[in-house]
Amino acid sequence: MKYQTFHLNRINYLILIFLSIVFIPNVKAIVNPTSNFYVNDYANILSNETEEYILNKSVLLNNVDGTQIVVVTVKNLDGLSIEDYALELFRNFKIGDKEKNNGLLLLLALEEREFRVEVGYGLEGILPDGKTGRFQDEYIIPYLTNDNFDEGIKNGYDAFYSEIVKLNNLDLEYTEPKGNSSNDGPLILISITVGIILGALTRVSNKKGEITSIYFIIFLVLFFIIPLYAHLLIINILAFIITVFIDPSLIFYTSFYGGSSGGSFGGFTGGGGSSGGGGSSRHF
Amino acid sequence: MKSGLKVGIVIGVVVLVIALLLGGSYNSLVVKSEEVDNKFSDIKVQLERRKDLIPNLVNTVKGYVTHENEVIDKVTSAREKLASANSLEDMANANNELTSALNNLFVIVENYPDLKANTNFIQLQDELAGTENRIAVSRKDYNDAVSSYNKTVKSFPKNILASMFGFEKKEYFEASEGTDEVPNVSFE
Repeated sequence: MKYQTFHLNRINYLILIFLSIVFIPNVKAIVNPTSNFYVNDYANILSNETEEYILNKSVLLNNVDGTQIVVVTVKNLDGLSIEDYALELFRNFKIGDKEKNNGLLLLLALEEREFRVEVGYGLEGILPDGKTGRFQDEYIIPYLTNDNFDEGIKNGYDAFYSEIVKLNNLDLEYTEPKGNSSNDGPLILISITVGIILGALTRVSNKKGEITSIYFIIFLVLFFIIPLYAHLLIINILAFIITVFIDPSLIFYTSFYGGSSGGSFGGFTGGGGSSGGGGSSRHF
Repeated sequence: MKSGLKVGIVIGVVVLVIALLLGGSYNSLVVKSEEVDNKFSDIKVQLERRKDLIPNLVNTVKGYVTHENEVIDKVTSAREKLASANSLEDMANANNELTSALNNLFVIVENYPDLKANTNFIQLQDELAGTENRIAVSRKDYNDAVSSYNKTVKSFPKNILASMFGFEKKEYFEASEGTDEVPNVSFE
C-alpha cells in the first residue's frame, strides 16, 4: 500500500511529459562542453600536457576576473561556416562572465583546415579583429600549416593569454570574490521548501479554501511589489499548488528534472558570456 | 457567511488569473519590443563601423592599385549610399551593394601580391571581415527578435492588448532581391 503514492494519475503523467519536453537536451551539430570546459579536444590533436597546461591557466584566469579562454578542436564543422559554428558554440558554452562578456574562443576545424578566434563583446576593445588576425599569422598558423597542431595551439593560447593579462592589468595572485550570480540556488530551494510546507499544512487543514485564497492574495500583492523576485514567487506558488491539489511526490520528480538539467556538477562551466561575431578566421 | 467566502475565493482566483495574464502579456510585449530596438541599434553601430573602415582601405589599396579606378569608385559610392540611407530597407540594400563592391575589389587585389602581404592591408581586411560577420550576426539576432515580437503581437490574447496599446508589426532587416548579386568583373 505504501507504494501507492508513486502511482501517477493522468494529470501527473501529463505534467511529467511537459517537463520532459521542456528539459529535453537540444540536439545540434555543435559540440557540447566537456567537464573540463576550457579545453575540448574533439579532434584528438592535443597532448595531455598541453590540455593540462591550458586548463590550469584558464582556471587561474577565470578566478582573477572571470575572463574565460576556451580551446575547442573539432573533426569537422558539419557543413557550417566556421564563423557560424564558432558563434553558436560560443553562445552555447556561454564563454566569459555574464556582465563583462570577457570570453575568448580558439576553434580549430581539422577537416576544413580552418582556425577561428572568436572574441566576446568585453574583450573586443583590447583584441580588435586586426590584432586577432595578426596573432594567428604570427603565433598559430605557421605551426598549423606543418600539421604541428599541439604546439600551434599552445603557442597561440599563450600569446592571447599574455596579451589579456598585460592589457587588462590582471594580477594573477588575486582571486575575485564570487559574485551573486549563483546566489539564486539556495533562494530557489528555500522558495520550494516554503511552498511545500505551506501546501502540506493547507492540505491537512480543514480550511483549505480560506488558506489558499489568503495565500493567493499575499502572492498577488508580493508579485507586484517585488517583481525582481517574481520567478521565486512563481516557483513557490507552483510548489504550493502541486502540494495542495495534486500530489506532493511530484515535487521530487520536478526537482529531479530540474537537477538533471543543471548539467555536469563538479566540472567547469561558462559564466554566461556572449559574442557578437567579433574575431578573425584563417585557412591553413 | 460560508457561501460569501466561496464567492470571494472564486472572484479572487479569477482576478488573479486575469491580472497575471494581462500583466504578463503587456510586459512581454514591452520587453520584446525593446529587444527589437536594441538589436537594431546593434546593426547600426556595426554599419557605422564598416562605413568608417572604408576610406582607410581605399587609401591603402590606391597606394598599390593604379588602373582600377572604376572598381574603387564603386566601393566609395556604395559607402556614400550607406551613409545617406535612412530607412531599414535602404540600409540593407546599400549594405549589400557595399558587400558586392568590396568583393570585386578583393578579386582585383589577388593580382597584387605586394598589397596582399601588406600588414596594414591584412589588418584592415580582418577588421572589415570581422565587421561584416558582426553585421550578419546582429542582423540575424534582429530578425529573430522581430519574428518573436511579431508572433506575440499577432497571437491571442496579446493581439488585443497590442492593438489597444499601439504595438505594431515590425519590419525585417532584408535587402530587396538582386542587390546581393555580385556583378561579373572582366579582366581584359
